[in-house]
Amino acid sequence: MAYYVNRRSEMTWWEKSYIPEIIKGMWLTSRRFFYNLFGFIPFFLGTEKDRRIMTVYYPEEQVQYPVAYRGRPVLAQNEDGHPACVACGLCEIACPAYCIHIEPGQNTGKQNQYERWPDVFNIDYAICIFCGNCEEACPEEAIFMSDDCEISMLDRKQMLYTKEQLLTPVADLQKRIEFTRNMYAKWNY
Amino acid sequence: MWVDLIITLVKISFILAITVGFFAPVLTWVERKQSALMQDRIGANRADIMGFTVLGLFHIIADALKMFTKEDFIPDGANKILHTVSPIIALVPALLTFAVIPFGGQYTLFDKEVNLVISDLDVGLLFVFAIASLATYGYVIAGWSSNNNWSLLGSMRTASQMISYEVTMGLTIIGVLMVYGSMKLTEIGAIQENFWMWGIFLQPVGFFMFLTASIAENKRIPFDAPEAESELVAGYFTEYSGLKFGMFFMAEFIEMVTIGAIMTILFLGAWHIPFLTTATLLSWFDFLGTTGSNLVVMLIHVGVFFAKVIFFIWLQMIIRWTLPRFRYDQIMRLGWKILLPLSLANILVTGLLILALN
Repeated sequence: MAYYVNRRSEMTWWEKSYIPEIIKGMWLTSRRFFYNLFGFIPFFLGTEKDRRIMTVYYPEEQVQYPVAYRGRPVLAQNEDGHPACVACGLCEIACPAYCIHIEPGQNTGKQNQYERWPDVFNIDYAICIFCGNCEEACPEEAIFMSDDCEISMLDRKQMLYTKEQLLTPVADLQKRIEFTRNMYAKWNY
Repeated sequence: MWVDLIITLVKISFILAITVGFFAPVLTWVERKQSALMQDRIGANRADIMGFTVLGLFHIIADALKMFTKEDFIPDGANKILHTVSPIIALVPALLTFAVIPFGGQYTLFDKEVNLVISDLDVGLLFVFAIASLATYGYVIAGWSSNNNWSLLGSMRTASQMISYEVTMGLTIIGVLMVYGSMKLTEIGAIQENFWMWGIFLQPVGFFMFLTASIAENKRIPFDAPEAESELVAGYFTEYSGLKFGMFFMAEFIEMVTIGAIMTILFLGAWHIPFLTTATLLSWFDFLGTTGSNLVVMLIHVGVFFAKVIFFIWLQMIIRWTLPRFRYDQIMRLGWKILLPLSLANILVTGLLILALN
């Protein structure tokens, strides 16, 4: 059934004068004005401000992103400082943008040591599309999407992060690790 | 003689300091910050000196520096003299009206009567209107001399709009004159010591019409057809840059202050606090001696006056950032078909009431 909009609705004399609408509009804007004026005072005093004030005083005030947020991918670093990565190359294959470059290194036969690790692990954030496929492909819980999205450089070459820059202690990634375990159910067999 | 001269010089420098030195620059910041807060934004806050931003107040300095260093451009085919003179013609009347605007009452300081008005003219109100309408020439000449279609259209719109609304403004003032029986702004202010004699109670319709007409006179947003960005680039000051553009800008902000001051004196009780007469205030500070108590009361009154002016500025800013622009024919219709008959009716009703009550 067709829907008709009555564009010629008769306005009353009072409505035609626009005075009620002007008052309504000014009431709205002045309410927002005072609301924001006093709502930002707690921020400048260094305390938590009212959650209903959505505006963020950005560089000074940061938003806590949810766990599901996909920021830049980082490498997990075990407690002993060794990367959890085994340089299997699955993330390299899964990456749709080909931004990951891995050169593996391996154990020469010593006992009770890591068998494989990446000698070189580069991610070029200038190419990365933050899809999270590398995280999903990883069988070793070694690569995770962090909540850091502030990667802007003056030079494109600086966007290429090496292994040392990527390594992040596992302790910092615990929330995301829990999340991926639930999400992808990789380790639930 | 010399004392009078010095007192007058002090008053003039005070007015210049507070309009050019305080209101004009700070209002550029207020305009940005207030609109930001109204629209859930943060507003200008990035200009910093040594890491301090002070809520973006340094943007005033940044803006001023920018204006000073910009190229002073005069287009080909423009009338160089008129193009240069017109910003001055636009700015000076806004400042000159303050000559007759009282920003406080009369006080006895060191056995000397001090009247807080630069020149207490008997025809103060007429003087205000005579001078304020001179600004129209500045805007019209600006558009006409810059050899640009947009500017010319803008100045034509300015001329018609200013003339239309000046009629309403003048007729609204007649109602006020009938009520107070004086054109002396100091006298009008003094009568409003009684709270129920405030202009907003005696002339409620006149108050709103005067507010509308004065915003139209100032060409701010609901009535900004002369400088409509989306239609005429920037209207009459399209071809202006640097400090000349800054002068037009400053004229607009100082006019806002002027409007606020005139509205305060005519309708909102001038420098008086509701239900507090000057005599009561003086008796409170009696322990300070004649000069001391007068000085304190003077400071209070000046503060109250400028607080009211700031309220009107706030109101104009809220209106500016709330309402959309009128179409050109709507402006004319509002001016000639609605406000003009209303102001005539206002005079009639006021006259009848005065006759009936006497």
